[in-house]
Amino acid sequence: MRLARLAWLAAVAAAALYLLLRLHHGVEFQTDLLALLPQEERDVAVQRAKDKVTALLGQRIVVLVGDADRATARAAGATLAEALTRSGTVSQVSYTLSADGLKRVGAMYFPYRFGLLTAADRARLETGRGQEIVTRALANVYGPAAIADSALLHRDPFLLLPAFLAELPTPLPRLMPDDGVLSVVDRGKTYVLVTAQLSGEAYALAAQERFMRAFTAAEAELQARAPDVTVLRFGAVFYAHAGAAAATAETSAITIISLVGTIVLVLAVFRALRPLGLTALAIAVGVVCAFAVSLCLFGTLHVAAMLFGVSLIGICLDYVLQYLAARFEIAAATPERRLRRVLPGISLGIATTLMGYATLLLAPFPGLHQVAVFSAVGLTASFITVLLWLPVLDGREPFQHGARLLAAAGRLWTFWEAPRWRWRRLALAAVAVALALIGAARLTIDDDVRRLQALPDDLKHQEAETRRLTGIAGGTEFLLVRAADDEHALETEETLAPRLAAAKADGALGGYQTLAQVIPSAARQRADRALVEDKLIQPFLADYYAQLGFAERSLAPEPERGVLTPAAIPADSPLSFLRSLVLEDDAQGAMHLVLLSGVARLDEVRRVSEAVPGVRLVDPAGDITRLLGEYRRRAMLLLGVSTLFMLPIIFWRYGLSGGARTLAPPAIAVLLTPPLMALYGIPFTFFSAMALILVLSIGFDYAVFCRETSPTQRAVTMLGVWLAMVTTLLSFGLLAFSRVFAVQAFGTTLLIGTLLAFLVSPLAGDSNSFHGKMAEKD
Amino acid sequence: MTRRLLLALTVLLLCGAAPVPQPGALKPGEAIHGRFVQERHLAGLASPLRSEGSFLLAAGKGLIWRGEKPFATVVVITPAGILQTVNGAEVQRLPASRVPFLARFYDMLGGTLSGDWSTLPHDFTVTRSAEGDHWTMVLTPARADDPAAAQLKSITVSGAKFVDAVEIRRANGDWEHLTFLEQALSAAPLAADDARLFAQAGQ
Repeated sequence: MRLARLAWLAAVAAAALYLLLRLHHGVEFQTDLLALLPQEERDVAVQRAKDKVTALLGQRIVVLVGDADRATARAAGATLAEALTRSGTVSQVSYTLSADGLKRVGAMYFPYRFGLLTAADRARLETGRGQEIVTRALANVYGPAAIADSALLHRDPFLLLPAFLAELPTPLPRLMPDDGVLSVVDRGKTYVLVTAQLSGEAYALAAQERFMRAFTAAEAELQARAPDVTVLRFGAVFYAHAGAAAATAETSAITIISLVGTIVLVLAVFRALRPLGLTALAIAVGVVCAFAVSLCLFGTLHVAAMLFGVSLIGICLDYVLQYLAARFEIAAATPERRLRRVLPGISLGIATTLMGYATLLLAPFPGLHQVAVFSAVGLTASFITVLLWLPVLDGREPFQHGARLLAAAGRLWTFWEAPRWRWRRLALAAVAVALALIGAARLTIDDDVRRLQALPDDLKHQEAETRRLTGIAGGTEFLLVRAADDEHALETEETLAPRLAAAKADGALGGYQTLAQVIPSAARQRADRALVEDKLIQPFLADYYAQLGFAERSLAPEPERGVLTPAAIPADSPLSFLRSLVLEDDAQGAMHLVLLSGVARLDEVRRVSEAVPGVRLVDPAGDITRLLGEYRRRAMLLLGVSTLFMLPIIFWRYGLSGGARTLAPPAIAVLLTPPLMALYGIPFTFFSAMALILVLSIGFDYAVFCRETSPTQRAVTMLGVWLAMVTTLLSFGLLAFSRVFAVQAFGTTLLIGTLLAFLVSPLAGDSNSFHGKMAEKD
Repeated sequence: MTRRLLLALTVLLLCGAAPVPQPGALKPGEAIHGRFVQERHLAGLASPLRSEGSFLLAAGKGLIWRGEKPFATVVVITPAGILQTVNGAEVQRLPASRVPFLARFYDMLGGTLSGDWSTLPHDFTVTRSAEGDHWTMVLTPARADDPAAAQLKSITVSGAKFVDAVEIRRANGDWEHLTFLEQALSAAPLAADDARLFAQAGQ
C-alpha cells in the first residue's frame, strides 16, 4: 500500500508538472462551437464559403441615429461615425455619401446601355411589343417628370438605361439621400444611417470588448450633447456582447453561491476543516490528471468539453462524501475500516459511471470524445486518491456529534419501509404516475438553435425598428452558385432568377439579390444588344426622332465597348459592396453568393433553386438545429447503451430481483424527469438529454450505495447520499436559474433528476442485506 | 437615376405647387384644378415639344396630370407611388418603395401647400420680388458642387392668387416653360374617375 501511495504521488506530480509546462507554453483552447461537431460538411469549398458568409454578415454593424431635429440627428450621426473611425475597431465606416457616387454608377453603366435590359423590356422586345417602350419614352419626354435632355435622347433615345437603373435591387429600400446622408423620416423624427464592418470576429472577445468600449463612449457623448437622440443598432456584435456580459455576471453569481454553499454545508455537517480539505484534494487531483492526459492525447481541448468534463468529475464528490460520512459510524474506529465499509459501494458506483462515460466514446462526435476521456481520467484519478490517500490523511477518531443528523438522514428510509406509511407510499406513487402521464402528453421536442441564445428584448426591438426603418431584410439562409468561371456563375444566376421571382410572387420568399441583377452575364448582354438593335432601333428609331422633331435622325456614333464585367466595378463605387457576392474566383472555378431574405417556405425555395445545376441552398441556423437534433438522438441512444453496459455488473452482483431493485431509482429518475419538466412547459432538448446521462450515473450511485449498505449503516449511508445530493444541487441545480436556455435546461434536468434519484434511492435497499453479514465480520 | 428623378420631382413639386394661393393654404378636402401648357425647348429640335392638358391637385391625395395633346397620357403622383398611363394603358409604375424619397417629396408638397416654403430643398437660394398682387420667385442652386443642382441654372415661378407660370433653365441650354390657366379652388368631393386613379397609383 505504501508503495502504491508513493507511486500515485509520483504519477500525480508528473501530471501536474506536464500540465504546468503545457500551460507555460500556452495552450490554445478551442472556443468555436463548430469544432465540437463532426465534420458534417464534406465539401471544403462550401464550408469555406459558409465561414466567409457568416463572418461577412457577423461583422456588419448598422446604426440609426434619430432626433426630432434634423440638424441634431445629422450632427450626432457625424460624431458617431467619427468616433468609430477614430477607435480603429471597425473598417469601412460609412456615413456621408460621396456627392457623385450615383453619377459614377451611371457612368459605369452608360457605355454598355444597349446591352442592359430589364426583364420586362426584354419580354416586350422578344414578343414584338417594342412599341410599348417607344410609347413610354414619348410619355416621359412630354410628361411632367421628364428626365431626358437632348443629349440623352441622342445617346439613349428610348431611355433604356433609366429603366434598367430603376429596377436595380436596393439594399436599403426605405432610405433616401438627403444632402449627402442616407436618411429616413418616421413619426416626426429624422434618422440618419451609419454603417461599418467590425475588424475582427464578432465572437472574439477581445475585438468585441474594444469595439463596445468605443461604441458605448461615443453613445454617451451623443446623449450628453443631445439627451433626446435615439440610437438604434443591430449587428451580431451587440448580441454577442450582451450574451457574454449576461453569462459572465450569471456565472460568477452561480459559482459563488455554489462554492460558498458547499463549503458551509461540509463545515456544518462535519464540524471540522479536514473533510473540506480532503474533498478539495480529491477533486483537484482529478481535474489536474484529466487536463494533463487530455492535452497529451488531443493536443488541445474545447472549452465546452472542458466545462462539461469538470462537471462530470464533480460526481466523484459522491464517493468522497460516502467515505467521509462513514466517520459518523461509531463502530468504524479507523480510516481503513471506514474505507473497507464503503469500498464495495463506491467501487460499483465508479464502475457503472465509467461504463456510462465510455459509451460517449462510441458517438462520432469529437466533442464527446474529449468529454469522455477527460471525465473518465479525472474520475479514476479522484477515485484512486480516495482509496490511497484519504485514509492516511483523515482523522482517526469517529465523529461523535452525528446522532441527530443520522436520525434525520435515516427518516427517508423509514418512509419507504415502515408498514404504517404504506398507503401514503402508494398514493405518492399514484400521483407521480399521474403527473408523469400528463407531462408525457405535453412533452415536446425542440432542437431550434435560436433557443440557445436568450436575446435581450431591448436589442431585438432595436433590430426590428432598424429593419422597419431601413428595409434591410432579415434571414440567415443564402444560396451558393458554383460554376467553372465568373461568366458561367452569372449565367446560372440568370437561369435561377425567374425561379426565385416566381417563388417570391408565390410568397415563399421575401426577396433575393444576385450579382447578375447588377452585372448581367456577357452572353445576356450580347443577346440583349442584338435584341435592341433588331427589334427597337431598326424598326422604331427614325419615326421616333421624326415625331420629336429631331433634325438628325440617327444615333450618335459610339465606339465599340464590349461587355460590362464584375471586375469593372470601381473600388470607390457605391456598388463595390457587390464584390463581396463573389466568394471565390480562381483557376478552380467561381463561387457566387445569392442573398435571400424573408424566406417563408424554406423547402420550396430549396426545391426550386437546387433544381438549377450548381446551386445549393445553405441554411446555417437550420444546419445547427438539425445537428442539435442529431446530438439529442445520439445522447438518448447513449443513455440506453450505457444502461445496457451497467446491467451485467448489477445482475452479477445482486442477482435478478436485487438487480431489478437497484435499477429502479435511476430508471425512475431518468423516466420521470422529462415529463415533469414538460409540466412546466420546458421542451426536451439535447441539453436535457446530456443532463440525463449524468442523472443516470447519479441515480446508479445512490442506488448502489443504498443496496450495499447494511441496516446498521443505513443512516450513515443516507447521510452520505444526502450530502451528495445537496452538493450536486448546489453546483448543477442552480444552473436551472440561468437565463441562457441551454444552461437552464441542463440545470433543470439535473435539479429534478437528482432530487428524484435521491428520494427513491432507498427502494434499492435490501432489508435482508447479505452485506450486513460482511459488515458484522468487521 | 435617383438624382435625376429627384431633380425631376423637385421641378414637379414646383409645378404641382404652382396653383397655390399665396399665402393661404389648401385645406383638407380642397382641390385645385386647371389647365396647363408645357413647352420644352431641347437643343437640336426644330420646334419645342408642346403639350397641354388639365391637372388636379387634391390636398392629402396627390396630383393628377392629364396630357391631352399631342397624345392622351395620365401621370398620377401620390405618397404611395407614381403611375403613368398612355391611352389608358399603363406604361410605368413606380411604387414608393422604389422611389424612397417620394415620402419626403410628399412632405415638401404638403409643406408648400400650407404656405411653408421652408420645406423646399436646402440646395436652392430663393429670391422673391413683388409688384402689387403679382409676385416672382427665382430659385438658383446654392451649391455648385451638388451634381443634381449643377444641372439646373434657375427656376422662376410667378403668379398672383395662383401660380401662373414656371420657367426652368438648365445648364446645358435646354429650358421649359409652363403656363397655368383657368385655375379654380373647389371643396367638392373628387370625381369617381380621379378617386380611382389615386387608388390605382397607391396599389
